[in-house]
Amino acid sequence: MISKSLALKVLNAALATGGDYAEIYVEEITPESYMLENGKVESAGSPQAYGCGLRILNGFRSVYGYTSDLSAKSLLALAEKLSASYDEPRKITVEKMVSPRVKQNIKITDHVRDVPVEEKIGYLKELYGVTAAVDPRIVRVQTGLSSTIKNIEIFNAEGPVANHFTNVEERTRVFIIAMAAGAEGIETSFYGPGASAGWSYFTKELDYKAIAKEAGEKAVMMLGAKECPSGRYTVVIKNGWGGVLFHEACGHPLEASATSKGLSVFSDSIGKPIASPCVSAWDDGTIPNEWGSDNIDSEGVPTQKNELIRDGVCVGFMIDRFNGRRLDKAPNGTARRQSYKYCPTSRMSNTYIAAGKDDPEQIIKDTPLGIYVANFGGGSVDPTTGEFNFSASEAYIIRDGKICEPVKGCTLIGTGQEVLMQIDRVGNDLLLGQGNCGAASGSVPVNVGQPTIRLKEITVGGRGGKLE
Amino acid sequence: MNFDKFFELAASKGINQSQLQISRSKSLSISLFRREIENFTVNDSQKIIAAGVVNGKYGSSATEKLDKDTFEFLTKNIVLSASLNEKEQEADIFKGSDKYHKKNVYNPALAEVPTEKKLALIKEIEEKIYAADSRVAEVEVGYSERESASEFYNSFGLKLKQKANYFYVSAAVVMRQGTETKNFFDIVLDKDLSALNIDEMVRKVVEGAAKKFGADSIQSKKYPTVIDREVMASLIGYFLSSAIADDVQRHTSMLEGKLGQKIASSRLTIEERPLEKNVFFSYFDGEGVACKNKVVVKNGVLQTYFYNRETAKKDGVESTGNGTWGGGKVGTGFGNVFVKPGKKSFEEMIAPIKDGVYITDVAGLGTGMNSVSGDFSCQAEGFHIVDGKVAEPLTLITLSGNLLKMLNDLKEFASDAKMTLEAISVASAYIKSMNIGGK
Repeated sequence: MISKSLALKVLNAALATGGDYAEIYVEEITPESYMLENGKVESAGSPQAYGCGLRILNGFRSVYGYTSDLSAKSLLALAEKLSASYDEPRKITVEKMVSPRVKQNIKITDHVRDVPVEEKIGYLKELYGVTAAVDPRIVRVQTGLSSTIKNIEIFNAEGPVANHFTNVEERTRVFIIAMAAGAEGIETSFYGPGASAGWSYFTKELDYKAIAKEAGEKAVMMLGAKECPSGRYTVVIKNGWGGVLFHEACGHPLEASATSKGLSVFSDSIGKPIASPCVSAWDDGTIPNEWGSDNIDSEGVPTQKNELIRDGVCVGFMIDRFNGRRLDKAPNGTARRQSYKYCPTSRMSNTYIAAGKDDPEQIIKDTPLGIYVANFGGGSVDPTTGEFNFSASEAYIIRDGKICEPVKGCTLIGTGQEVLMQIDRVGNDLLLGQGNCGAASGSVPVNVGQPTIRLKEITVGGRGGKLE
Repeated sequence: MNFDKFFELAASKGINQSQLQISRSKSLSISLFRREIENFTVNDSQKIIAAGVVNGKYGSSATEKLDKDTFEFLTKNIVLSASLNEKEQEADIFKGSDKYHKKNVYNPALAEVPTEKKLALIKEIEEKIYAADSRVAEVEVGYSERESASEFYNSFGLKLKQKANYFYVSAAVVMRQGTETKNFFDIVLDKDLSALNIDEMVRKVVEGAAKKFGADSIQSKKYPTVIDREVMASLIGYFLSSAIADDVQRHTSMLEGKLGQKIASSRLTIEERPLEKNVFFSYFDGEGVACKNKVVVKNGVLQTYFYNRETAKKDGVESTGNGTWGGGKVGTGFGNVFVKPGKKSFEEMIAPIKDGVYITDVAGLGTGMNSVSGDFSCQAEGFHIVDGKVAEPLTLITLSGNLLKMLNDLKEFASDAKMTLEAISVASAYIKSMNIGGK
């Protein structure tokens, strides 16, 4: 998108005032998206994003700028404006450029882009048909597909030899939102499977009809749900998307952007027990064709499988180049950003609690009274205090070791430190679920994951009074 | 760029009516950490959103890539997206309103203030926060400035332009006492730097964090509840989203069929005033319709929904000037909301409460809110109210309820209204009773 000779000029202009690292991130995003309301196409769009971000580091200082004008004049002016923040003699002159090989974790042969539009819309209409047929109380179904191809070029230099990386990120997500209305009110369910994969994943590997049916069934079921009780209870969390608990409560506080500044509850935790011994956890950006996977991160560092917790002991963080400087640690392929409009920072990719030994059914059988959370809407965390919250979109009461009536309005709150210690059972049924995570460097696709787990006791918020 | 060429090209491809929105944004943000500049970001970028009508259907496209192929790209994609559009309603592009109420809200003086001065300002805040209390462990102070210029053109010759700028200063403090860590965050938004009262901001964040030490949970039950104005702004935002006509027409709004009916306490009056001369001022919407001020809820009675041209046509009314174009279709938005405050000070308002809860912050409302039913449940923190006074701090409690029920149970607003970043001005509210989850 820009020539190597221009990139060299811009890097050298950026490093003129004493910067010790400069990076050009160029991006062209061509998405396609279709949105259907009750089976009819309401919008079809392809908003193109295009631009460049330039970053210059100098020790613990960072300057960043971006523009949608990629002309030589614009980029050199940006380099000059940013480098004016430093006033030291030049440390680095970039003399040549090499192009390191990028290992491909994502291999796609049947690009969604190449599938005829009619076929993609037909698929979304089929999803609608299945969901709407579940029950006459389903009043509104939205189905959609969004597929993105990001062409990325990164030029960076920490010495006389610059690196030039080219990478393509290709992801597709389909979604179903079902709304059911009854005398009790209106309930909504959301399902959004996604992957860095081709069309056959969505049409063959994914049991999309079962997902569409479930979306309808859950919305109708929640119509009849009672209000969730509040108080401190034993909570069993289903495998898959339930991993958002770990993502919020423990993943964010393990990002170097928080730990490197002493702003995380886990800042000084390496080598120390932070979780119950039955917990081990990973962040793995290399899993082939997964939603949160990449070949390289936003700084050109290859993605890795990073161990975070081993048998309850904290063993690692997600580390980007800039925050790694404070920690005196090398970056581990976790610097991510939504687009060129964001300065990259340490982020999660596919983050999960590893499988344990327990049979998930046995975990429920061993719980006399509690809450079973089958699905979460999402949640958030304050990394400084570790306080988190999640709201369940599908939850049930557990009585005498059996999953009983559904409840709505269920929120789990606590602190990351507490909840990790409260995990007393870990199932053998690890599963990943797809989401988008919003933080300082924008919204990035992530997988969360876990096997079925049990928390001995956690605060549950709801409007249904005491659990009896 | 010569935009007349776009309309010529569009017409030649069968796009009989079309419009262009060009937005250009510039920004500067600086943040400090441990007395050093940690981040310094500048931006200058543009975007074009184009929409047009082909065979009675809307099509749209957008790009940030401005070069010789831009118009070709936009027109090609308008034709493609219109060909897929299955909306039954006949689409058309708005010709223009009879009258527009343009005001100049751009403050050229702000852009001319040297960066060094803005930096000095946040350094001063940082130093003062460190000096204010020995328990201050970390401070993060930031300055951000935004400038946006938008232009609107259509194939009927309508040309509209507006430009605005503003800054915001944010200060976050982390304080430690023994094993406890507490934080607090404040933000000041304006277009005139003289509006920033540094000592007031420093006092607010340091006291805000310090007051939280020793916080505990509270017994779960229903309490008379006072909700801080910042939290109230978020809740009012969700409530107003239900007044978007599109959701009402699709039978997924809690306000369906409620026009002209009493839906809330008579203490609730809400106006949308896009023409208010402040940083959120806007005189035309995304379809080129002139914006106008309107009363949405008057003494608890719902007066109107928010309409764009498409949803207005469906209900046989005029657009309320709330149209937007984005995500490939016409949408609806709102801003510059003013909720009528009460007459009592905050202290006077809470004086009659014997045993209540004052909610100062919530987390997880984004996912804890069922925006269709209005049911919500979220993490909260605040203070116990005992014998009419703010007493011990509370943490890790939950606040849950239903938006409509809450607004019906609204006893009164205090007089402390403040405009938030969400463009909603509202005061702290006293709700008769809400569910608080704790021990």
